[in-house]
Amino acid sequence: MAIITISRGSYSKGKEVAEMVAAKLGYDCISREVLIKASDHFHIPEVKLIRAIHDAPSILERFGHKRQAFVAFIRSELACRVSTDNVVYHGLAGHLLLKGIPHVLKVRIIAQMGDRIITAESKRAGISKEKARTLLLNDDQERRKWTQSLYGVDPWDSSLYDLVIHVHKLQVSDAVELICDAATRDQFKTTDKYKRKMDDFAIACQIKAALVNQFSEVGVTSHFGNVLIFTKSGDRVGQKLKKRVNELDKEIKGINNLEIHFGLPLPPDAV
Amino acid sequence: MSIIIIASDSYKTGREISEKVAEAAGYDCVDRELLKSVSEKYNVPEAKLIRTLEEPPSFMGLSSKLRNLYLAYIQEVTLSRLLEDNVVCHGLAAHLYVLGVSHALKVRILSDFEKLINETTAQENVAREKAINLIKKRETLKKRWSLASFNVDENEPSGYDLVISLNQIEPGEAVKTVVDTVGYRKFEPMTYSIKCLKDKELAGRVRAALMEKFSDVKVQANGSTVIVETRALKRDKRKKTETIKKLAGEIKDVGLVEVHVFKDIFRQAVESNR
Repeated sequence: MAIITISRGSYSKGKEVAEMVAAKLGYDCISREVLIKASDHFHIPEVKLIRAIHDAPSILERFGHKRQAFVAFIRSELACRVSTDNVVYHGLAGHLLLKGIPHVLKVRIIAQMGDRIITAESKRAGISKEKARTLLLNDDQERRKWTQSLYGVDPWDSSLYDLVIHVHKLQVSDAVELICDAATRDQFKTTDKYKRKMDDFAIACQIKAALVNQFSEVGVTSHFGNVLIFTKSGDRVGQKLKKRVNELDKEIKGINNLEIHFGLPLPPDAV
Repeated sequence: MSIIIIASDSYKTGREISEKVAEAAGYDCVDRELLKSVSEKYNVPEAKLIRTLEEPPSFMGLSSKLRNLYLAYIQEVTLSRLLEDNVVCHGLAAHLYVLGVSHALKVRILSDFEKLINETTAQENVAREKAINLIKKRETLKKRWSLASFNVDENEPSGYDLVISLNQIEPGEAVKTVVDTVGYRKFEPMTYSIKCLKDKELAGRVRAALMEKFSDVKVQANGSTVIVETRALKRDKRKKTETIKKLAGEIKDVGLVEVHVFKDIFRQAVESNR
């Protein structure tokens, strides 16, 4: 019983690894489904969500809140989906979107550029070696910029993951074995405590997603369903926020109590 | 049987895991004790060898000529030891120069960050924030060291087969993972991978012998053939080639010595301005 996120570059065989891990452990393997659900739920075209989570933000976008809102929508859907447990997620930024959840096994699959070019050539008919190389380099660059601008970290930084597996000498089947072995260890098993933490995280993400369009600078925490909403703004937006929060009590399941704290800095564990 | 090379962001963590892996796999553990042999063989104080492995180049540090020479000595002795097989190697930067040897499993172990902070706080008697800054500073220095010494960033995960973070994974589990992984077929020594390692060892011996006299040499070996690349002025070309051939030819297992001398354009420019 675990949650596994597999981060990968394009054509790094990460998808194959994720599917095989899910099949071996009998877990669900999810990736694009999260975006489709978020698109349906929040009425945003899927292509916009893909761009928000894939492409590096432009200079103008860095000052706007649209992208953060889209990321909050995706995170909300992902948190709800993985809270049911037994999931392998190999979509974009899983390890960052689920940051702070202790029993998530975070894996990165890497491959040599040469191997990735060969895979790209075999999977995309008519693409030349040079074009495949340029495509992969651009893709890596976008990922790097995206992660740095939103989370201030480098996706190539190994310390973000529990395991980094280089698929070259190690084969896909070896990587699958290593991940399955790690996933069955005690610290990645879903205990009651971890389940509660995951449920709280899902509640906080849903509330954030519901508020982010109107109140971009809120931070949300939840402990046993007792939700605290933090905002740096003072009473100016107070009435509006209070009204919206009261509506949320009925919309989102699992909330015991809702409190709003005005004029306070956001705590580090806030969503 | 295979070779396991372990690198880590903390010497202590790397050593601890290496010893446990060696015990579990029934291998020998080669660590910085090997520097004693290097020191005796080449008559260099052990302290200087340790500095070579830890300090990036600086004004106050060892000269780059000496650093490269000492690194060549360490490399030579380490590669000879790795030829013996069934070895877990740590603390000698082998992950940066044992390249293209398929039966060498390269693993990077990342320390539990909280544990590392606590250790640094206790050792240095500083506050948490300062300990974090110290750890980050050390990381930057290590990166500078690996780039200056081997032109490789040792933090780059593509230089390893496997990176394990001890933030969530227990040391005992990491040991088991490494021992299980080295059992995979790909890490069995093959005729070609053994030859690769033997070539590297021979090249290492020749380089260590030549570097005392010619600090800019690059050496490759293929069987008993040794290829040496160096730079010289046109007038010194013949003399340098002969000396290299003589010195390299005296080394055990060396058959043919090929010397490629390139124009030393910098020295030429300096001399033409005199």
